[in-house]
Amino acid sequence: MPASHGTASPGHAIASGDAVASHCPYCALQCAQSLAPTPAGRLPLEVTGREFPTNRGGLCQKGWTSAEVLRAKDRITTPLVRSSDGGYREADWNEALDLVADGIRGIQDRCGADGIAVFGGGGLTNEKAYALGKFARIALKTRFIDYNGRFCMSSAAAVSNRSLGMDRGLGFPLSDLGGADAVVVVGSNMAATMPPFVQHLAGARERGGLIVIDPRETATARLAKDGQGMHLAPVPGTDLVVLLALAHVILAEGLADRDYLDARTNGLDDIRRSVAAWWPERAEQVCGVPAEGLRSVARLLAAASPSHGGRGAYVLTGRGLEQSSQGTDGVSAAINVALLLGLIGREGSGFGPVTGQGNGQGGREHGQKSDQLPGYRMITDPAARAHVAQVWGIDPDDLPGPGVPAVELLTTLGEPGSPQGLLVHGSNVVVSAPNADRVRAALSRLELLVVCDMVPSETALMADVILPVTQWAEEDGTMTNLEGRIIRRRAAVAAPGQAQSELWILRELAARLGAPTGFSTDPGEVFMELTRASAGGKADYAGVTYERLDAGEELFWPVPAADHPGTPRVFLDGFPTPDGRARMIAVDHHGPRDDVRADAPLHLITGRVLQHYQSGAQTRRVDELNAAQPEPFVELHPVLADRLGLREGDIAALTTARGEALAAVRVSEAIRPDTVFMPFHWPGVGSANRLTNDATDPISGMPEFKVTAVDIAPARTTEEAAAL
Amino acid sequence: MNVIVIGHGMVGSQFVEDLLASDEHAHVTVLGREPTGPYNRVLLSSVVAGATDPSMLAMSAASGDRVRVLDGVAAVDIDRDARTVTDSRGDVHRYDRLVFATGSQARVPDIHGIATDRGLIPGVTVLKDLADATGIVKRIPKARRAVVLGAGVLGLEVATGLAARGIAVTLVHHSGRVMERQLGDAAANIATGSLAKLGVRVVTETSVAEALDRRGVLQSVRLTDGTQVLCDLLVMCAGTQPSTSLARRAGLPCERGIVVDDALASPADDRVFAIGDCAQPPEGGTGLVAQGWDQGSRLVALWTGRADAGRESDDDLTNVVRVKAQGLDLVTMGLSGKFDHGERELRAVRISDPAVGRFVEVVVSHGLLVGATVVGDKACAAELSAMYSRMTPVPPDPAHLIVRPLASAASAAVNTDPAQLGDDDTVCQCNTVSKGRICSAIDDGCASVDDVARATRAGTGCGDCRSVVAALIQSRDAAQAPSGDKVPALAGHGEG
Repeated sequence: MPASHGTASPGHAIASGDAVASHCPYCALQCAQSLAPTPAGRLPLEVTGREFPTNRGGLCQKGWTSAEVLRAKDRITTPLVRSSDGGYREADWNEALDLVADGIRGIQDRCGADGIAVFGGGGLTNEKAYALGKFARIALKTRFIDYNGRFCMSSAAAVSNRSLGMDRGLGFPLSDLGGADAVVVVGSNMAATMPPFVQHLAGARERGGLIVIDPRETATARLAKDGQGMHLAPVPGTDLVVLLALAHVILAEGLADRDYLDARTNGLDDIRRSVAAWWPERAEQVCGVPAEGLRSVARLLAAASPSHGGRGAYVLTGRGLEQSSQGTDGVSAAINVALLLGLIGREGSGFGPVTGQGNGQGGREHGQKSDQLPGYRMITDPAARAHVAQVWGIDPDDLPGPGVPAVELLTTLGEPGSPQGLLVHGSNVVVSAPNADRVRAALSRLELLVVCDMVPSETALMADVILPVTQWAEEDGTMTNLEGRIIRRRAAVAAPGQAQSELWILRELAARLGAPTGFSTDPGEVFMELTRASAGGKADYAGVTYERLDAGEELFWPVPAADHPGTPRVFLDGFPTPDGRARMIAVDHHGPRDDVRADAPLHLITGRVLQHYQSGAQTRRVDELNAAQPEPFVELHPVLADRLGLREGDIAALTTARGEALAAVRVSEAIRPDTVFMPFHWPGVGSANRLTNDATDPISGMPEFKVTAVDIAPARTTEEAAAL
Repeated sequence: MNVIVIGHGMVGSQFVEDLLASDEHAHVTVLGREPTGPYNRVLLSSVVAGATDPSMLAMSAASGDRVRVLDGVAAVDIDRDARTVTDSRGDVHRYDRLVFATGSQARVPDIHGIATDRGLIPGVTVLKDLADATGIVKRIPKARRAVVLGAGVLGLEVATGLAARGIAVTLVHHSGRVMERQLGDAAANIATGSLAKLGVRVVTETSVAEALDRRGVLQSVRLTDGTQVLCDLLVMCAGTQPSTSLARRAGLPCERGIVVDDALASPADDRVFAIGDCAQPPEGGTGLVAQGWDQGSRLVALWTGRADAGRESDDDLTNVVRVKAQGLDLVTMGLSGKFDHGERELRAVRISDPAVGRFVEVVVSHGLLVGATVVGDKACAAELSAMYSRMTPVPPDPAHLIVRPLASAASAAVNTDPAQLGDDDTVCQCNTVSKGRICSAIDDGCASVDDVARATRAGTGCGDCRSVVAALIQSRDAAQAPSGDKVPALAGHGEG
């Protein structure tokens, strides 16, 4: 283990006293927590930060207050069934599960197996994600399964697989960042979304090397101030152009790592020709970033790179770049910059997408994706099907084929020939999916909607049956964090009422659907089966056991055998592509699908605030977080506010080609005057995703959440404003 | 559909790629006079300046079953009745549609002594193709003095590029001011001042009358005002002429360029089109590659019924002129220099600040930016050109377009000076902890940053505010003695 890991004692899996060592329920940083049961307290346990290589003891306000969600006032503690008056009545598990199974059978008898669809989530443990994929394929026998990770990591995942041969997220331990001279962050705001991450940027900041590319001066962009780095604020939807111009400068000024390119990559000629058209002065006109700024960043990155004697450089991407109809092209351009400088597969340098959801990494590896089987195997690959079918004890021919990605799945629900029933696990799609009104309409066409949730989320409240589930501190399992590190989630308290783990629910449903075996309710057993199913796949967990994790081993996949130490840094010895080389793929800029026009002359961008997580189903139930961020808002520049006649606190009406929303005005100089920003944590009239575009990237299926054309005006009536 | 494209430059090649990708029935033959394939002519001045490696110029070209690219093969004759093109090898190609993308050639002024019957004498050159650029680069190690003729965009780029390589440059211009088509007097004066700082001497209202050689090699030039300037290098940047000779021979209407209508078709033959520098559309050619690319993309859209066929506005938004010169930030767009106000209601706001080498003018009409001139203000140049190209709305007072970049250069950061913070101001963003709460914790006995963290959670997220907390403890210590040693434990114990 490198010295930088010295902060992690061998026994870091152990919390002090009676406390249980686990990890935060929220984002992919998976900050380590100590959960100390407090039998006499208002809450069942007390949370504190725990020393760990990723969060180094830190927690943000969401993490500190996470125990509140265990006792949310409206926590669901018993199965609920839609009653004749449109409300819900309590039911016992047998009745609820029979009802669900009957509904599924009824639809499948009529429409075939594909009449039922499953929608999963990037917050589910590896065990649940695996069991859900297996349940869909062998109990429901449907090809229609996808998950909200499609909205999160699909662009980065697709390109990492295509260009590097594997998608391991960061591909290196987070603490490696600390030694680099430069870190460029494209479209990620980790200072707000995963604050303890910022500790790892200290080295680059000290050396003036933090580069943040974001249309807003976010909390992360501010970290680059005062000589700690640079902030480039491109026109929304043009970050790809910034990257193409960086590649241009690197090649035009002879800054590329020729030896590395010769030895480890293919495609240099294509890249050279494709970026020839993006000289900095041309890029400047498109992206609004001064040509000199583009040159400076390229030179700074080059100087930090190993071939120029630097201490190393990293390129990190986030949803700002990826949630776009050209999201895969954007990630390709970022990877190309990193490859040109010889950063990938070298200790102390690298490329990585910053995963968003808690188990966004593990969630995409073990079979929730429409085209994948456990171990990051493709469902269309006969060898992969044979291996997984053997573990599952079925005939490979009985495995369904690939389904469709999330947006296509959700928007066609209830249409003739499409699924008529949907099971939702760990996702609140009517708030978190793009063009949310269209998704709501699709869900209401369904004959059967079953939602497993711990609180009555907006999606749950549309369901015919709501099944109460356990959450984070009430369950055991594993998560795979943004580094590809497999970590243990541990139960500290019992769940209230009749809440049950999805593992139990899936077993009960499978039994009712004629698959009485193969669904264990013990997370440890499920995990061992998962490791066998993943063996030999890209995301190979074969050598991982709870025992190794509980003993404090730091395990990064692939871990192909019990005596294998895991792979903290990938690609050091080559890329898992057919010829062992990374593929540089030429891309070009086309711009957003719904670009600014006379009747929608501004860019709408969306994102998160520190105090809320995703659709807000959890964090909106925590008083302390609500006190800090109580309502939907739209951030706009004072010059724009002046033109529109809007003042701080006014209610603004926003209109896009999809829908309308209202939000309270916040005036800020930290945003471009041609752009407005709205966080997406709220439902109803203030829901940002009623405005966002559900156009998708042709390769990844990632929707274009991050930019659309919008018109904005003062709310017309006081009733309108009062609706907020 | 068989399409023949004559010219395989920046515009022709991009058009062919776009067409093949958009129309699966298109079969294309490309005839390119130059042997090299398409390359980036815009960057030739950067090659001269040493800012761009010549290997960087090659651009992508179409390939595949449906395209035949003949580089180094010129078109020599067109028979519009037979719909055929004969190439320099004698091969005959039949077309359904013919596209001229022949570009332009450098105008060689009538200067006594610059040429013999073998061509331009050594040391005298234009800058239009890769051979010109590499020829100049070869001469640079021995060159000490250069004259650049013509202070248009290219002239400025070449002059500053040569100056950056340590050559003494005289920039000779016929007009009274540099870039007279784009700049008014004030902006041109400021640009001239910036050029002087970069080592470029500007001589206006004169031209080169004669080149004087010694043993056939350029030694000096004599200007029309009689002065003589020693030089090893004369680069003529005196404008370009659309390449129309083939079109003229084919009987197509040509004026300055090949005349085309809004659909980029010749009025004499609806199977013949022209794009890029060789074309003369109704709004006039600008000589900018952006116009040619826009025309190519529009032509594909028109042929395939693609949505972007229509033009959003009558204004040409590609006429952004950006000088690529290290140390001279100069961009103009739309209405600039001495423009005619015409019928439109125009509002113009200007900052002219020669002392710091800055000039900014914006021209606004009906809520949109219709023109701008920027010298010496990088951020403003970038913002305004992005705004102009996208037609995003302008502020009610156009002055905000000019002053805003300066205003935002001031810090919008979270205030981290403890003395400046109010009690309600948030110190710890990660945990929403105000200065007031931290000060109360200190008053209650917290004596260290860790004590404050345990009591308030401040500093337990990203850790960035710990220095502010330390400063608050210090200033409290200085102001008053600690009132006790009680440490409240609001957030439990953080040690793991």
